[in-house]
Amino acid sequence: MLQKGAAKKVTIYVNEDAKHHLTPLHEAILTFLLHKGVAGATATRAMAGFGAHQVMHTPRVEALAEHLPIRIEFIESPEKVETVLPTLYEMVDDGLIDVQDTEVVKAASREKPRSAAKIQHEEQRGRARLMRIYMGESDKWDGEPLYDAIVKRLRLMDIAGVTVYRGILGYGVKGHTHKSGRLPFSHDLPIMISVIDTEEKLATAIEQIESMMQDALIVLSEVDMIRLVRKDATE
Amino acid sequence: MRQSKPARLLRLHFSERDRFHGAPLYQAIVQRCRELHIAGATVFRGLEGYGETAGIERRPIVVTIVDSIENIERLLPELESMMDTGVIVASDVEAIRISK
Repeated sequence: MLQKGAAKKVTIYVNEDAKHHLTPLHEAILTFLLHKGVAGATATRAMAGFGAHQVMHTPRVEALAEHLPIRIEFIESPEKVETVLPTLYEMVDDGLIDVQDTEVVKAASREKPRSAAKIQHEEQRGRARLMRIYMGESDKWDGEPLYDAIVKRLRLMDIAGVTVYRGILGYGVKGHTHKSGRLPFSHDLPIMISVIDTEEKLATAIEQIESMMQDALIVLSEVDMIRLVRKDATE
Repeated sequence: MRQSKPARLLRLHFSERDRFHGAPLYQAIVQRCRELHIAGATVFRGLEGYGETAGIERRPIVVTIVDSIENIERLLPELESMMDTGVIVASDVEAIRISK
């Protein structure tokens, strides 16, 4: 729920017939704002108006009535506005977004406010290492895909984060080209696993996975890690 | 056997639509890397993104290339002449080669 005090008012002008992935843009914007927990938003259809295209939209002329302007307005805390603005910026590809400083004098609701579902997280920062392991999609270990086996092994070791990427083309240590086969099941695309953790943990991880791989390239680099950890998860 | 040595990692960012002499640019780059005996190149296609070129039809492509500092130096001018728009990012890495 909105609090009294400083806030931002966002006004978005779009055309009634503007679309966002097949749904009317103004509906898509309202759905998005609702989903993001914005306190309230109102869409109003204008009587008449004109915009950047310099065409007067008026209900008097039937052909121009379809393009009447729609104004969507909402008031939220500056932080909330900051989180929703990037998506709105993407969504409105023909229109205008205006943000103004405002002050909430009264925000009353008969309903009890829902418990603040704010994400509680702790930020951990520090130097870390990023490891990239390159292999082929068809590489196997003990009958299962090598990348699956490696991810399982790393999870067992409590490694902070692991992501598997599938490339679309490539070649490497074995010299042959990795590309998709003519049959849908004959893929041998390149696979890259990226792993992030401390230098010590990665050193033991390399020891572990070395025995699993026949031919491999592992690339290590220094990174600055910012890790967001759920507070409730650590308790 | 395990060999470890300092290396350079290149990341080239451009669009799926980019072409070089009629072929997709990423194919041409992989081909050129092979001709120059570069250790390895991998092409990834992103789902969404924006940069020099953007749009739903133009998904981002990232090519990663790893080799020795000298080989990467040798390759860079070639890549620069092939790419029209895009970004090349280089970083110092440690490469570990496992072979049995």
